[in-house]
Parts: sequence; C-alpha cells; structure tokens
Amino acid sequence: MSQKKESIVVRIAGAAGDGIASAADVFGRICARQGLHVTAYNSYQSAIRGGHVWYQLNIGSQKTLSHGEAPDVAILLNRTSPAVHIPQIKKGGVVLYNSSIIPDDLSSLRKDLTYYGLPFRELVKDPGVIAVMANTMLIGSLVQLLNLNPQVGLDFLSEEFTRKGDKVIQLNQLVFNTGVDWIKKNGKSLELQLNGDGIKRMLLNGNHAFGMGLLAHGLKFYAAYPMSPATGILHYLAQKAKSHKMVIKQTEDELAAINFVIGAAHAGVRAACATSGGGFSLMVEAVGLAGMMEEPIVVINVQRGGPSTGIPTKQEQGDLNLLLGASHGEFPRIILAPKDITDAFHTAGRALNLAEKYQTPVLILSDLYLSESFRTTEPFKVTLPIERGKVQTEAGSDYKRFLITEDGVSPRLIPGAPNGMYVSASDEHDEKGIVISDVLAGLPASLEIRNKIQAKRMKKLEVARTEDMQLPTVSGPEKADLTLLGWGSTYDAIEEACQILNANGHKVNHLHFTDLFPMPEGVHELLKNCKEIIGVENNFTSQMCRLIRAETSYHVQRTINRYDGEPFTGEDIANRIKKEMTHV
Amino acid sequence: MSEAKDFNHETHPDWCPGCGDFGLLQALKKTYPLLNLNPHDLMTVSGIGCSSNLPGFINTYGMHTLHGRSLPIAQGFKLGNHKMTVVAVGGDGDGYGIGVGHLVHAMRRNVDITYLVMNNEIYGLTTGQTSPTSDLGMKTKSTPFGNPEVPINPLTLALASGCGFVARVYTGHIPQLVEILKKAIEHQGFALVDTFSPCVTFNKVNTHEYFKTNTVDIQKEGHDPSDIYAAYKQATRTDKIATGIFYQNVRSCYEATEEETLAEPLYRHKLGLTEEEQAKLCAEFI
Repeated sequence: MSQKKESIVVRIAGAAGDGIASAADVFGRICARQGLHVTAYNSYQSAIRGGHVWYQLNIGSQKTLSHGEAPDVAILLNRTSPAVHIPQIKKGGVVLYNSSIIPDDLSSLRKDLTYYGLPFRELVKDPGVIAVMANTMLIGSLVQLLNLNPQVGLDFLSEEFTRKGDKVIQLNQLVFNTGVDWIKKNGKSLELQLNGDGIKRMLLNGNHAFGMGLLAHGLKFYAAYPMSPATGILHYLAQKAKSHKMVIKQTEDELAAINFVIGAAHAGVRAACATSGGGFSLMVEAVGLAGMMEEPIVVINVQRGGPSTGIPTKQEQGDLNLLLGASHGEFPRIILAPKDITDAFHTAGRALNLAEKYQTPVLILSDLYLSESFRTTEPFKVTLPIERGKVQTEAGSDYKRFLITEDGVSPRLIPGAPNGMYVSASDEHDEKGIVISDVLAGLPASLEIRNKIQAKRMKKLEVARTEDMQLPTVSGPEKADLTLLGWGSTYDAIEEACQILNANGHKVNHLHFTDLFPMPEGVHELLKNCKEIIGVENNFTSQMCRLIRAETSYHVQRTINRYDGEPFTGEDIANRIKKEMTHV
Repeated sequence: MSEAKDFNHETHPDWCPGCGDFGLLQALKKTYPLLNLNPHDLMTVSGIGCSSNLPGFINTYGMHTLHGRSLPIAQGFKLGNHKMTVVAVGGDGDGYGIGVGHLVHAMRRNVDITYLVMNNEIYGLTTGQTSPTSDLGMKTKSTPFGNPEVPINPLTLALASGCGFVARVYTGHIPQLVEILKKAIEHQGFALVDTFSPCVTFNKVNTHEYFKTNTVDIQKEGHDPSDIYAAYKQATRTDKIATGIFYQNVRSCYEATEEETLAEPLYRHKLGLTEEEQAKLCAEFI
C-alpha cells in the first residue's frame, strides 16, 4: 500500500442479514464526525437473507467523488465472502475478519495481503453478548487500523443505544474496545494522512434529501407503493408525518398513488409521489391526466436496472425515454435530474414550485446510486422561497379555470369558493372546463377551441424553456481537447474521471445536464464549441445524446455506456476514455 | 339554503332518452338541499363512461378523470380538503371492472366519501359489451354465445371488504333513492350505493320494467342494517332483487386517524419550515 494516502477505500462484506448496513452506518458516522468525507455505496441483492452483500466506503481528507474501485481494506463477515472479495482487494491491502466464524487459512488465497483474524468468541466472554456484536468489534479494529479517534466511536455508540439502556451501551463499548485493543496489540495501524477538518457533516443518502427537500418546501401530501430504490423517501416522510403534519399514504398500487396525488393537488395541496421505473410505467396514464387537467404534481422516478423487473437492486439511467414519452397525446412536462444529494434537496423544492407555476407535472429522475448511496454533505439550507403561482381562493361567476393567457397558465381556483364551480376533465374542454369531446366533437366551433386550448397548454413549455430551464454546467479547463457529457447522478464520477485524466496530462472538461426537458436555448452553441465530445451514460442506448440530437440536431457520435448494473466511478470512466483515445 | 334548481347545469345531459342515469342526477339535486349542501360545498368525481359524464351536468365542483381511477382521486381530494363533501360517481365497468382494486381498498380504508355506481350491467359507451355485473349467459357483442363468467356481487364484495355503508337501489324509485343518498352522504366513512340504472339502448334484459317488477325494498320488510349476516342473506337472496340499506356500522372514518394533522384542512396549512426546524432535520444525520 502506498504511503500517506489521503483517502482509503473500505469494503464490508457478508450475507444479507449480517448487519452490514448498520456496521457501515456506524463506521461512516464515526468518520463523518471526525470531519472526514465519506462516499458509501451499498451493493445489495433482492434477498432478505443470504447472498452476497457489501458496502463500500471511500473515506478521504478531501471530498471523495465516488465509492472507489478496489478496496484497500475489507471486513469479511461470513465464510463465503473471502473467495468473492479477496481477489478484488488492492495489492498489499488488509483483511479484517472474525476468526470464530471464518476459521480458514485465508492466506492461501493471496500472499500479498495482511490478515487480521479476531477470535470474537475467545475475546468476548460476557454472557450478554450476541453474535452480531462481532461487527462492532471489527469496526473497533478498523478504527484503530486507520488510526482514527476511538473516542468518537464510543460516543456514537453511547448515543445510538441510549434508548436500550446503560447495560447495552457498556456492552457495545466493551466489544468496540476489544477490536481497538486487539489491533494495538497484534497489528499495526496503516500509514495514512486521514485528517478530518472538524466540520460536522450529515451522512445521508439521496432519498433522505428528496424527502427532506419536499418537506422543507411545503409538501403536505405524499403517496407511494413500496418499490426499491424509491422506498426510502416513503420511509423518511412517514416518520415525519405526525411531527410535520403531513398525510403520507401507502396506497394499493402506483396507479392509486399518483391519482391520490392528483386529487390532493387539485384540492390545493403540495403533493408528490415517487416510484421506480416499473411503478412509473403504471403511473403513465395519470401523468397525462395531470397534464390535461393542469394539475401541479411532482413525480420522482428512482431508476433501477430494467427492463421489466430487470436488476432491481442495481443502477441504471434507463428511463429518460420513458419520462419523455410518458402518456399518450401531447402535453407539457418538465424533467429534472439532480446531480448529487445537495441538488436532490433543492430540486425537490424547485420541482414543487415549477409544478405550481406551470400547473403541470414535473418529473424528477433519480437513480439507485443517487438515492441510496450515502455521502457526507453540508447541512441543507432552504434557498428557494415557496412560490405557488397563479392560485386563488375566491372567484366571480365569470371565472374560467382554463382561461387562455399569454403564458399559457390560467388562474387556479382552489375548489370550495362560492360561485367558482368548474369541472376539470380528462376530456378536451373549453376555457370554462365544459367538455367538447362528446356531442360537440368535430363541430366547427370545437375545432377552434381545441386548437386554442391545446396551444395554450403547450405554451407553458416555451415559457419554461426560456424562464426556468438551466443550461448544462461546464467545469474544468475552458479549452479542452475532450468534453465528457453527462446528466444526473453521474456528476461526481465524471468530475473524478476529469481529475484523473487531467493529472495524467490530458485536457478534459465536463458538461453536465440537470434540466433535461424542455431543453433550454443555447445548448447547441455550447456543444458546437467543444472540440470533441464523449457522452457518458449509465444505459445502453445513450438516451440523453438522442434527446440532444432531437432537440438541437447536434450529434454526439462517441459514447461510453455502462449497463451492467453498477454505477460509474471516476477510475472506471478514465480507463474507458483512455481506451477510447487509443482508438482515435 | 340551497334548492334543487341551484344544481342545474347549463349543459344538458347527453345520455340517451330514458337512460337510468337521469334518475340519479335528479335524485342528487333533490338530496343536496335536504342536507343543507350548496353547490360549492360539493366535489363530484367521476371516471369514464356514460354515467361518468355526470359531473358535467350538475352544478358543483367536479373532476371527470380516468377510467377506473375516480376513487383514488376522490380520496386524495378529500384528504386535501375534508371540509368539502365528496361524491364519486361512475358505472359498473369503471367501479367493478377496471377500478375494482381501488374499490376494495377504498372500502377498507374508509375515507369519508360516497360512491354511487350507476350499474347497468353492460358496457354502454363502447356500444354493448359484457360487464362485470352482466348475468351469466347474457348475450352481448363481446359474448355472442353468452357470458361465460359469473357476475360480481358488489354488495357481498363490499361487506367482505369492510365497507361501513352498503346500499342498493333502482334509479327509477326516486323517493327511496333520495332517502338512501341522504343517509349515504351523512354516513361518516366510505359509503357504497349500487344503483340499478338501466341502459335503454344496449341492455334489453335488465330494463326499467324488469327492476320495477323484481325489486323489493328490504327496509319495508323490516331488515336490520346493523346485522351483517342478515345483510349477506339479503344480498344473496334469489326470490326478489333486494334494495335498500343492507348494512351500516359506525366505525370511525380514516380522517379520524389523522385528527391532529387534519384539525385544519390540509390545503390551508402554513407551508415551509423555520431555520431552526430545518437545522433540526439536518442534525438527525450528523
């Protein structure tokens, strides 16, 4: 292992049910509380017990931009994990394990690694101890191995188990110290420069950020049907429902979820729902309903590997086409794809504002990687005031719900006002809401109404395009030989790739989209000025590049696609780019 | 104080002359004043089908939505503004076919809305195919050799799903219909009223004459609506077609479980957090 590294990659591996996620959480929080940066990715499977599950944490003195590739240190929790993970560990790395569970001679697998087997059963004899506490011992040994401050760990355990009483706290601290002491006595701490800056950051995932972002920006109603990897938003909000006076409903299916949301939005409530691709497919008809009835709704699609059930616990950016084409007919929609956890928080608020400003569905594209990987993040502050658009609670008898206006947005009357009665219909209708689809359909007057009212709705797209959609960001050297083009959650990984490539003497910059549709003016100009562009997408068909071509006529000819279910890392992208470059 | 004419809409119903749906529309206009409801107190939600055009023919707030999805929308609206009276309407295809999943869950969830199904035992707007309530053996355009499937019994389905108010009535019997609608809307919780609303164009079996002849008012027979077993018996009897209130209980409605949150209607809540509240949310992750 190279000396005085400023970052280190740790993997905790075992079977589902071994307590990996909570071990990773404890270790991640201990690092975060010392002012270190953490990026953690949970590689899990669609099984409640068994299989192979691992959490990988990239810990650094500076911001870590991905969860890293090969681990420097691995904690192995069960007997099947050595064969899977030992071949992947970096040269000269360290393996920590419980030798009471894994009695095997692991050194036969690889000679270059250091193996620390801690015999849990011999070391801890307290009758109150339970098997899963071996994880706490191994975290203690890891803390000592990395030369971190054990007191932070002891304090964290004390807080974590407050509700369970002093006895449990003491036992956990004893077990943790056992790990610390064992390394002191039998091992050697690594030579690292892991220096925290003392700033206490949150350690949370994108779903927490979406949930908190919705809540902080006035969400009052949320409905969902459980579906990985979107369920975390439901869990977060459900827990906050009483304290923050929201109605959070688990419904019978996704069709119900989105239609509940449309009903609540119609009543004048800020409402949203989230799902993954399969659930979104079920919601599709109602997205069109919201477009037609001009209802302000926010739908988050947390993408996972498709098609169909696909690889439900794995990563993909495969649903952009679905969102672009969701529902039959033509109606305005806005599609946003936040680039990281902080952006997820702010995008949730922005989406609620845009939905009410344009009275139309706003769709957010997240994915498993953004929604479920944990990052150290500065505490959020609301920067966007809540703006509710053209909403009113009183009306005269001449009120027209779908009044034709300059910007396509009509005054929205909250139902309940005397004199303002109107019907919102999925059928085509006139300015007052009277349907023209039945006995009036095809009559000359109806043709004119249809043209006007359809043009009115579609006008919102043009207004949003110029007033609200933001151009892609450009980072890195201005005059680059190569531009990497990405969207959504791949932001940090592409940044990391640029750092690696530029450190190797290349001149690469990064162009990144978060506002996907309607595409703002000026994208073509930006692209035209790039010398060479490679699109980087976590999908097979380069859906963003196709959208760009459709919207701007610019053809991004070279792409890097990853669709094996794993997220990109900077190292991975950089390696692929290097290969691409040799092909030029 | 409202009057029936306050609920008249400028749009004349486009139903076929003689359609059973006229009876329900008329009865609703008579019922609302009896409950001191004004047009602006009411939200009428429908799905798709002939009967789902009703919100466009009555002067209340309305949502005319998707086939089978009226109930989720009606429940979402009610939770957003529970001070308004929400009446969902639709046909048997809408409620017992494409939307039956939502119906079962709405009944056990027990949000305080009233659901009126205009059941004509046929698909009318699509010009005469079999419906979930078409009789076994009924010949329709999609079952020219007779319907091979047994019909759903909406009443026993409702009883089994925890519905707290279960009634059935023929739309030609206006006084009975008004009486039942009044009680259904007053009921605190989900109320299902299955109405026989004959399709004069496509159903030549279950006609006005058929219901006039074959129905019986179980209230007149002394049926006790608090007795769920008696309700099952009435719902499955074969000598006559039972109408009336089959079952009613006093289970508290869904909104009661959100009492604190809904002390004020959701749409009127103050939005956003103070800086302290926001900081507290963040601190949970540190």
